[in-house]
Amino acid sequence: MSDTAFELGRRIPRVARLAIAPSSLIRWILRIVTVGLFGVATAAGVSLGMSAPEISPTSVVHQHVALSDR
Amino acid sequence: MRPPRLIANTLLALIWLGGALAVLQVVLSGGVPSEGGASLVAHVSGMAAGYGAAMMLILMSRSPWLERGVGAHRLARWHGRGGQVVIILAVVHTLLAVQAWAEARSTDRMAATRAVLSLPGLTAALVGMVILLLVGLASLRSLRRRISYERWHFLHLLTYLAVALAFAHQLAGSDLAGRRFVQIAWSLLYTYAFALVLRWRVLQPFFQLWRHRLRVEEVRQEAPDVMSVLMSGRHLDELRAEPGQFFRWRFLTRTTWHAAYPFSLSAPPTCEKLRITVKARGDGTRRIFGVPIGALVFAEGPYGALTPRRRRRPRVLLIAGGVGITPMRAMFEVIDLPGKDVTLVYRASSEQDLVLKHELDEIAERSGARVVYLVGPSTDAANEMSARALNRIVGDLSDHDVYLCASPRLATRVRDSLMLGGFPRHQLHEERFSF
Repeated sequence: MSDTAFELGRRIPRVARLAIAPSSLIRWILRIVTVGLFGVATAAGVSLGMSAPEISPTSVVHQHVALSDR
Repeated sequence: MRPPRLIANTLLALIWLGGALAVLQVVLSGGVPSEGGASLVAHVSGMAAGYGAAMMLILMSRSPWLERGVGAHRLARWHGRGGQVVIILAVVHTLLAVQAWAEARSTDRMAATRAVLSLPGLTAALVGMVILLLVGLASLRSLRRRISYERWHFLHLLTYLAVALAFAHQLAGSDLAGRRFVQIAWSLLYTYAFALVLRWRVLQPFFQLWRHRLRVEEVRQEAPDVMSVLMSGRHLDELRAEPGQFFRWRFLTRTTWHAAYPFSLSAPPTCEKLRITVKARGDGTRRIFGVPIGALVFAEGPYGALTPRRRRRPRVLLIAGGVGITPMRAMFEVIDLPGKDVTLVYRASSEQDLVLKHELDEIAERSGARVVYLVGPSTDAANEMSARALNRIVGDLSDHDVYLCASPRLATRVRDSLMLGGFPRHQLHEERFSF
């Protein structure tokens, strides 16, 4: 790091500096991965539910039986 | 920290409530045909089996909230009992669905079976049910003893396939079809269950392998058929493992990579080292003894609620039987009480079976805690493990938190005796290890 960059780094307030420990950064990444995974699970669940059959194969046969009974 | 029993009871109530709603919506939806009782029972048992299968996946997802909050031992017990119920419900559903079909179409059962299997998704569901049935049979006590842990474990992993195969049939079943909101809720139940499994049983161990690079550092013989495996790695403090907890270990060598074994830490974890102590019970565990130094270790965990943090009373009694000493050895070193009022009762059938004895004696001498060895046949009155006998050893037993880890037979005997003797249930903490 050049002297200017070093000096600049020292002038940045402590709060604004990247003071995140690798372990806490990894923990946050894992949390984000978890949220992402459940986001995908939500999308997949809704999509599966939306594309599920409206008429059950068994209902069709029940209807068939009912019609043939008439 | 809330006591695990409270969390467990709340969770159990929620699971029952969910099951009741799933079954109730079948009856209230009006989707049940009025042909007869067989049809109604088939519908109700099918919904209950589908709901139960998702619950079993969630309970065994190794989610830390469940493992730490409820406890691995309790989760395994629920899974064992619940799994049996799910399999019975699935079988009842299959048989009565065919029966109801035969009644509705006035055909024999053979023709009804052929007709049912020709419907979309039904053959896959039947394959799933057969897999579940095989898993159920392999888990029967009499058969389980004859099957190696590795085969039983592999068969159990097939249940994921079985559940996935049955899913399409559930979604298209007449109890859900055409009811968009319920279909979405049902799909979410399953995608969340699989997401939990993926997160905690697949991603987490891979992440830990990458982050901690756990490797075998030393394999040391402790007793005939008992070895300690010392592992070293990086940033192990991030695992937040506690004495008394266990991991599922998979040693990445050509002969051992395919099976994960649950073993407790036998020493308090440090930032760089973890240690387990293993008793050979079969070919699989014996192969671990031959794991080369430097082998990578894939560790799932930490799991279990048997930790010093559960302590509520001013005195502690640790009870270990056989190789159940491992989590107790780790806790014995770290439980720090005023006056060192800690007693460890260690039961073994012979002097040779006393594992890590020199370490226990050293800790006792250093810390002022007490260790009592009960060695010899269980018929010997001196080796009695009843509440009365334990009370004689420690004084006022009711003033203790009791930690118990032993073989299922010994653990049951001690627990039953404690409960009969009026010992408060919430002061008993245990973890049982059997598959």
